[in-house]
Amino acid sequence: MPDLNIIIAGLLDAVTLTNLLYIFAGVAVGQIVGAIPGLTILMALAIAIPLTYSLDTLTAVAFLISVNKGGTVGGAIPSILLNTPGTPESAATALDGYPMAKKGKPMKAMKYALYYSVFGDLSSDIVLITVAAPLALIALQLGPVEILALMILAFTVISGLVGDSMVKGLIAAALGFLVASVGIDPTQGTPRFTFGMLDLYDGLPLSALTIGLLAVGEIFAQIAGATKDASTGTPIQINSDNPEDNTVTLKEFLANKGVAIRAFVLGTVIGAIPGLGSATAGFLSYSVTKQAAKDPEAFGTGDPRGIAAAETANSAVVGANLIPLLTLGIPGNISAALLVSAFIIHGIQPGPLLFEQQGRLVYGLFGAMLIANFANLFVGQFGMRLWAFAVGAPNSIIFPSALLLCMTGSYITSGGFFGVFVMLIAAVVGYLMRAFGYSIVAFVIGYVLTPQLERSLSHALLITDGEIMAFLHHPIAIALVILSMVSVFYLGPKKRKPASTK
Amino acid sequence: MKISQKLLRTAALVATLVVIPSSAFSAECPEGYPNKPINFVIGYGAGGGTDAIARAVAAALEKQQGWVIVSNNKPGAGGGVMAAGLMQAKPDGYTVGTSSLGTVALNPYNSVDTPYTYEDFDYLGSGMETYYGLVALADKPYNTFEEFIDFAKKKGRATVSVAGFAQQFLVDQINEKYGTKLVILRGKGSADALQQALGDHVDATIQGAKHVQQIKAGKMKQLASLIDHRVDYAPDSKTLIESGLDATIVSHTVFMLPKGVPADIQTCLAGALDEAVKSDGFGELMTRLENTALNLGPKGITETIAKNAAVYKKALAK
Repeated sequence: MPDLNIIIAGLLDAVTLTNLLYIFAGVAVGQIVGAIPGLTILMALAIAIPLTYSLDTLTAVAFLISVNKGGTVGGAIPSILLNTPGTPESAATALDGYPMAKKGKPMKAMKYALYYSVFGDLSSDIVLITVAAPLALIALQLGPVEILALMILAFTVISGLVGDSMVKGLIAAALGFLVASVGIDPTQGTPRFTFGMLDLYDGLPLSALTIGLLAVGEIFAQIAGATKDASTGTPIQINSDNPEDNTVTLKEFLANKGVAIRAFVLGTVIGAIPGLGSATAGFLSYSVTKQAAKDPEAFGTGDPRGIAAAETANSAVVGANLIPLLTLGIPGNISAALLVSAFIIHGIQPGPLLFEQQGRLVYGLFGAMLIANFANLFVGQFGMRLWAFAVGAPNSIIFPSALLLCMTGSYITSGGFFGVFVMLIAAVVGYLMRAFGYSIVAFVIGYVLTPQLERSLSHALLITDGEIMAFLHHPIAIALVILSMVSVFYLGPKKRKPASTK
Repeated sequence: MKISQKLLRTAALVATLVVIPSSAFSAECPEGYPNKPINFVIGYGAGGGTDAIARAVAAALEKQQGWVIVSNNKPGAGGGVMAAGLMQAKPDGYTVGTSSLGTVALNPYNSVDTPYTYEDFDYLGSGMETYYGLVALADKPYNTFEEFIDFAKKKGRATVSVAGFAQQFLVDQINEKYGTKLVILRGKGSADALQQALGDHVDATIQGAKHVQQIKAGKMKQLASLIDHRVDYAPDSKTLIESGLDATIVSHTVFMLPKGVPADIQTCLAGALDEAVKSDGFGELMTRLENTALNLGPKGITETIAKNAAVYKKALAK
């Protein structure tokens, strides 16, 4: 760790008028892009990177990090207001955010999401600033065997999210498994289910698929519902006169501190391990919280704990993701990989020498991150009124424009019309799954986790030479596997009520 | 003072305006070309090495020639999606593809679905050679390729994390020649492969860029250079050729055109590309990537591609 002088000088570097302006602008851009269904942070970053070429280094990276942070907060908004999450991580937020909004408390739901998101992000930033290096080293110790055990745990814990019918939930998850295996197989490099199409070699584009399933599928479902039965199409009541429905008091915020802290720890740990990502964190945290609760049936009906669990965890990943990035030069997910490229363009080489060679700059970046969290809070407070207003527009305006944006987003992130086709097919599949009661969430989780599961499984077998006893040398993996057994036998089926409310 | 500055600035502006058209002549371009923006289609996603190189070249071209370049990412199948599209593009010199050598020299033989071969394109030149190395954690008991082979033989097997077919193929070649059992762990990408090595989960890894920082920080060491010459950051590590195995991983960033672009436009683009690769802006990017600018030129890159394509074609025909 560099001198205190360097740390302080670096932190102060962040506090210039130009930097503050760019941080606020970045957060605002991120929130707007995140809040529009179909547009994602990834897209915002890809577009923002070339815009920063002419800025100086600190301003440029501060701006990009702010876009990233703003996007995380903004992503919750369409999930809450329209039930159309653009990314898998905000899908977990929709599970309780949308029901709460439907009850006439959209402002309250958005505020819960904002506060817990900022809490998670800020806390994980502090972890990054204080203990990044040792934490990164610990995360490195988790090899294929441990990651495999972690994936098994994730699958078992998440089984709590399959919906009303276990059989249908498992079918949906298995479908996710199957769809995830399209493309070059991760170990041998042989194409699977590609039907001679080069476009399928890298698998189905994740953004387009999730936009289709989660956002467009829901739009279809809402349009169909609105024509068939007017009552399901009730627009969200925005201007509730009861002030309690529009605010979140400190007491209400603190009421879920246990949930939020656990979610923050989960998010930070998952963020520090490269390759797992915020979707895993959001769902895992939501599911753990639901299963650990005394009244799991309350979840899915607009429970603030659900929002707290999902938002704190997926935002905690954003800060923690920089841990392996800055200390080891290993990007934890796609947005971190985009940030690396921007860092390199601006002359920052993430890796083991970064703190030594460019300590002041790194602490400048940390300073900017802290400021960005508060900017997020501020811009978010202001922005949510705007979104609440926008969503009050008639559905005949909202749905077509959302559809157009979803297509644009799919086109841009996958680099062509192929993404749009994938999105449309996924939307139809998503609509049918909703209609017949198959859990979209289970499908998406299956899709997101499978490649990592498969790769770790094959790597673990190669490393241990197929020797089952070699497993004994991996105590962390053993602990994780025991945990998953516990979650299956103890937490899972017993707490399931035969006829749950949803 | 102020006025003189303003005057200077205006003079500079006028000078640049005058310089732009004249510098276009240095690349010997036909009359009236280009009269609209040129499309750069990049075979990899935004944020990768190829993307950074293509965009740096595009920026240099805009500055030096005064052209307008529109960069587009068309990722998928290791550049294959871009190349398949480029093959269909109008050969008018307004669509230029950027990808890696493997896209044209390896993919056509590695996958039956590839609709092209390297002969379906014309090549303008290259931008950078990737410095592949076989690297391991600094505290491993072996320091050279030979010692690593001994270690693998003594232990019965050793693990190597890689990130692509060309690297896998190289490990196969080592196994065949020395009778070793090097087990390949294919990662999601080079970062994934590096992570396995840094966490001490594998015995060695093949890397093309990210290892340089690790070596400079003293965390890793290079056992062998996998290209055809030694590298500055690890001058003592021999190439495999020096160790007696005629195997390399050759990768260049390639700039290509669909077949049939008029010869004078090709000459113009190749000349402009060469100027761009030699520019300061591009050189800066190279410094950051711990590499050097290298343009083999239209003839040089075509020969290199042909040579590698022959190797892969023969090996994969089995």
